[in-house]
Amino acid sequence: MQGHDDLEPTVHIRELKKDKVNFVLKNVDLAFANSLRRVMMADIPTVAIDMVEIEINTTVLPDEFIAHRLGMVPLASSNCDEAIRNTRDCTCLAGCDSCSIMLVLNVACHDHHTMDVTSHHLDVVPPGTPGTWGDGEEQEHDAGEELSKRGERFGHPVGKDEPGTPPVLLCKIRKGQELKLRCVAKKGIAKEHAKWSPCSAVSFEYDPYNKLRHTTHWFESDERGEWPLSENAKEEEPPRDDEPFDFNAQPSQFYFEVETDGSLGPQEVVMKGLAELQTKLANLILGLKTQPELDILTGGEQQPNGNNADGWGAGGGGGGGWGAASGNGGGWGGSASPTRGGAATSAWGATSPHSSGGATSTWGGGANAGWGSPEQQSNGWNV
Amino acid sequence: MNAPNRYELYVLDDGEKPVEIIEDTKIPNAATIKIVKQDHTLGNMLRAQLLSMPQILFAGYKVPHPLHPHFIIKIQTDGTMTPQAVLEQACTKLIGTMSSLENKFKREFSFKDVEGTVGAGGATAATDDPYGGSGMGGTGGAWPGGRDYLDF
Repeated sequence: MQGHDDLEPTVHIRELKKDKVNFVLKNVDLAFANSLRRVMMADIPTVAIDMVEIEINTTVLPDEFIAHRLGMVPLASSNCDEAIRNTRDCTCLAGCDSCSIMLVLNVACHDHHTMDVTSHHLDVVPPGTPGTWGDGEEQEHDAGEELSKRGERFGHPVGKDEPGTPPVLLCKIRKGQELKLRCVAKKGIAKEHAKWSPCSAVSFEYDPYNKLRHTTHWFESDERGEWPLSENAKEEEPPRDDEPFDFNAQPSQFYFEVETDGSLGPQEVVMKGLAELQTKLANLILGLKTQPELDILTGGEQQPNGNNADGWGAGGGGGGGWGAASGNGGGWGGSASPTRGGAATSAWGATSPHSSGGATSTWGGGANAGWGSPEQQSNGWNV
Repeated sequence: MNAPNRYELYVLDDGEKPVEIIEDTKIPNAATIKIVKQDHTLGNMLRAQLLSMPQILFAGYKVPHPLHPHFIIKIQTDGTMTPQAVLEQACTKLIGTMSSLENKFKREFSFKDVEGTVGAGGATAATDDPYGGSGMGGTGGAWPGGRDYLDF
């Protein structure tokens, strides 16, 4: 980890295709690279079929089986952030054009040949079609501008109306069998269900020569011969035979290949992944910031220094972290003598780690009285 | 029928606080911070970033139970900064790293777009439109050595 900070992170895209990108990420630490991988796989919203209403199913597959297969069909989800709402945030009761996409499938076989029912048979009901979401009248709610942000293909099965793209096989039917159903596609993320993942595979490699010995190569007789090097080994210097093991070394070069299922393009996946990580961090900063402000509002107005027993109780109420302790707040206030409070403050006033370390041992058994005023500590920090 | 909603794994409940700070009563300059509705993605990254900062004596995180959607991160500083302030600084630094990386990605992608349209057509402006005009299986966007990945 140390040592990367002086170097700027860099990225080199080795290959970019319609559905995959291969890049090398340098000068970041392992945890960062892994978080990027995790976020691309699990935290990027897409749309996928979430509810299926089966009207006729005379195929050999049971309803659940077909519903599950339908859920796995990738649907075009570009600009999902703006183009569709989460149903849980929507004003509608069960579904509407702003938060859901209706798809229908109606296939019957009249030939003597086995017929394939595929994702190409799924048709999107255009938004605004009357009667899609029950009787039209209660749909007079906040429609929002989601619809205008949708691309032309939004919500359509990937590869439909595109010659040369093989469809996803859902079921096979013979003469006389029929499948008729309605599906509702919704927005979600892969933490909830893997069908919402935009990635079909993300490969992630570092240290192709195993110089860091993060893994052990089992071998019969010859390690080099039995463990062929990966393609990524060409990017790195091979270790010399007499090279000593550097146990302080940290990985700094990461080889990614992000392959999408077609619901989002690879560029969108990578950029949305980085944006999503930033959102997570920004929310955390916001959470950290609002907490002390509460403290100041409730505790700080009375006792800005907080080195008095009265201040503790107030602070205990304000600091969310001490919610549990605040129940005992009165007790602490009574038992902790003002002199002890003063002593604790002075120990904290001299913020050097040595003096406070010394303080810990002197407090020893009686620590609860002195240290039982954590809010004082927090007030000391916050003010 | 009483299963909780699946989205409760990653969406804060009404009025739920995203962060809960518990200052350590026995160790100086230390705090345990509970971060709700987040997981290893954030926890490990923060831990690593904190460890690279000079003010930190200790930083560690754990997800106490895989079914409980929160993690806790323990921080001890050398006293020049509070654990909260250090954590905030770590977040800011990470955001900085990410936005610089974002710009670099943007530039790299724009180069590749140009190459794609001029070149053999494997890599195209597929980004705006996942159904971009190029056909499947194009051999464009070759590896640096001019080889295709199928060559070996």
